[in-house]
Amino acid sequence: MPLAAQNPYLGDAKGIESGREIFRIYCAPCHGLKAEGGRGPDLTLGVYNAGDTDQDLFRVIMNGVQGSEMPEYIEKLGADNTWRVISYLRTAAKKDTTSVKGSATHGEAIFWEKAGCGGCHLVGNRGGIMGPDLTQVGRKRSAAYLKASVVDVNQDLTPGFLTVIVETKDGKTITGVQRGYDTFSAQLVDAKGVYHSFYKEDVKSIKREARSLMPSTYSKVLTGSEVDDLVAYMMLLRGKQ
Amino acid sequence: MRTLMLLLTLAVSLFAQADWTSYGGNPQGWRFSDLKQINTTNVARLTPEWIFQSGVGGKWQSMPLVFDKQMYITGPNNHAFALDALTGKQVWHYSQPAPKGVNYCCGQPNRGFAAHGDLLIKVNMEATILALDRRTGKVVWETVIDDYKKGYSATVAPLVVKDKVIIGIAGAEFGTRGFIDAYDVNTGKRLWRFWTVAGEGEPNGESWSGDSWKRGGGSTWITGTYDPALNLTYWGTGNPGPDLNGDHRKGDNLYTCSMVALDPDTGKLKWHFQFTPHDLHDWDSMGDPVLVDLTVKGEKVKSLIHADRNGYYYVLDRTTGKFLTAKAYTKVTWADGIGPDGRPKLIQGQDPSEAGTKSCPGMGGGHNWQATAYSPQTGLYYFNTTDGCHIYYKTQQEFVEGLWYQASTVGAIATEPLTGRLLAVDPTTGDIKWQFETVSAPTAGVLATAGGLVFTGEKEGYFEAFDARNGKLLYRFQTGGTISAPPVSYLLNGKQYVAVTAGSSVMAFAIR
Repeated sequence: MPLAAQNPYLGDAKGIESGREIFRIYCAPCHGLKAEGGRGPDLTLGVYNAGDTDQDLFRVIMNGVQGSEMPEYIEKLGADNTWRVISYLRTAAKKDTTSVKGSATHGEAIFWEKAGCGGCHLVGNRGGIMGPDLTQVGRKRSAAYLKASVVDVNQDLTPGFLTVIVETKDGKTITGVQRGYDTFSAQLVDAKGVYHSFYKEDVKSIKREARSLMPSTYSKVLTGSEVDDLVAYMMLLRGKQ
Repeated sequence: MRTLMLLLTLAVSLFAQADWTSYGGNPQGWRFSDLKQINTTNVARLTPEWIFQSGVGGKWQSMPLVFDKQMYITGPNNHAFALDALTGKQVWHYSQPAPKGVNYCCGQPNRGFAAHGDLLIKVNMEATILALDRRTGKVVWETVIDDYKKGYSATVAPLVVKDKVIIGIAGAEFGTRGFIDAYDVNTGKRLWRFWTVAGEGEPNGESWSGDSWKRGGGSTWITGTYDPALNLTYWGTGNPGPDLNGDHRKGDNLYTCSMVALDPDTGKLKWHFQFTPHDLHDWDSMGDPVLVDLTVKGEKVKSLIHADRNGYYYVLDRTTGKFLTAKAYTKVTWADGIGPDGRPKLIQGQDPSEAGTKSCPGMGGGHNWQATAYSPQTGLYYFNTTDGCHIYYKTQQEFVEGLWYQASTVGAIATEPLTGRLLAVDPTTGDIKWQFETVSAPTAGVLATAGGLVFTGEKEGYFEAFDARNGKLLYRFQTGGTISAPPVSYLLNGKQYVAVTAGSSVMAFAIR
């Protein structure tokens, strides 16, 4: 497969516009009209699972992703149109205007100590299992998104991390983060990191709520500069899962 | 006593339907087994007898056929297997990977075989139809249906009518023109083609503006049914193309989103009924056309019943195609009921738009393709529905042959996840008699039995049996794989089995 050294349409207005049109025809059915995701991943984050360079994107579009629903476009689009799509994707990526002005070193200490984020979140093999794994969060989320998530926990719930509340037949209430939820059963991890599993017929009630169990107090507990420090640290978390 | 039991067992195997030989279970598409060894009193003791692990990934939407002690099942991506129906052991394996460049709308599923003597007939993804020798799995004949490079593909389970095999086609998302074909079941020679999109100069051709009919969609990817007395075969048709933008296909767009009744000998259209004129939401009407005789509003009528993706359940006169009644079975925001002429009373502001329009049901519709069941024992019709809405977007799009031509997409509503229900409906009125709610949208089909049971499954792997009269859950088993196909039932050595695909496996259950 021919691999151009660089994207000939990078920043080219006409190339971007034609790339947008091509995107709407071929990519939007899965990735959404605004590339914000649907059946396929959100492509506006500026970071991508198979690599962030133009060459990475070119390779993925041309060859597809084995084992996923992402087909190859080498025949349908060819190299030229693929570069146009990539030039459009670069403009669709949300500009992260949040300056990462904090101290990552200080942020690391806040993460593990003052804010206690590690009580619920994993970084590598260290941390708790209640919340989303943050090992790669610097690749997957923008600084603005992370900052908003710290100060307003419900602004965008990570799919699969809803709150499940179980009332047992002896009157106990167990609240935790969803690990599984189906017609007959629920699995959850509580604040102590303890895993629970119940069939509906064995308990008094099981319900699910679309809210996060993450404490909503960080905007008060942490100063503005401490939040910046925390975000600076998380933006460096780009390790392997 | 023992002799009596033996005689009874023999009588059951002689007079009850021991085999499962077609997609619909019978030509009328009832998907009803008159076996009752497994019934409401003992189904709680149902036990897996065997599991066949195919090793073939992808969506297993296939309904197995069972006769002569073997099970014949097709898998995704042009795989097929014969299994020993007693033990689940593989007898043979057919595999013919599809060529590169076949356009798939929705994965590479296949919905099963049709049987005729020693021939098993199936379609392959690249729009071919072929017959396998059921004893060996070897190809006896294979015929190209149409050119896959134009966007055609094939997933349907064929329907055998007399000496013909009738099939439909997929590809409405690629600007194809849909059709229904009949082939000589012994030779594979094509005998007729009915275009589901009326062309210029043909009757109803004026229901398409300009030359839009050439890309009109109307695919036919779910098996039709057959009434031997009327000698008519009934097929539902899919959405018009491009799916969500009708600007360049003004008119009703016949015969998309319709039911058509054809003479199986000639392929001639006897009647048509359109559920959704000028559809803009991808609400195919390809779902089961089920043939039952009902008393509707005091009159006995040979009926065709159908749960449409547009959210309404319909009853038609299957002799004439006359509209009899319709009733919404899920939340509908695009129409305020169906008029006496059978046309929906449209609500304004429900069409897809550049900015996005919320409309219900969602793009997959209420009831989609999942197989339905009618029980003559309870007189109820069983089908599942997805409940919820989507945001529908519209774009302008130029057509390029063989390429995706949907002119839009839909967005999920994060705070309103799609959920599901299994419904038991009075077929004469559409009234819901009982329902079972599920966390996820439905994936599996339904089987009804003379044991007073309804079997189905779920996305999360549960295989379930309900009391057909009242919906009481009597049995469930976690199979470990999504159930994407309807179960079947058969009798072997005097013992009743219920079989279903789960994940990439096939499972058979019986009472121990």
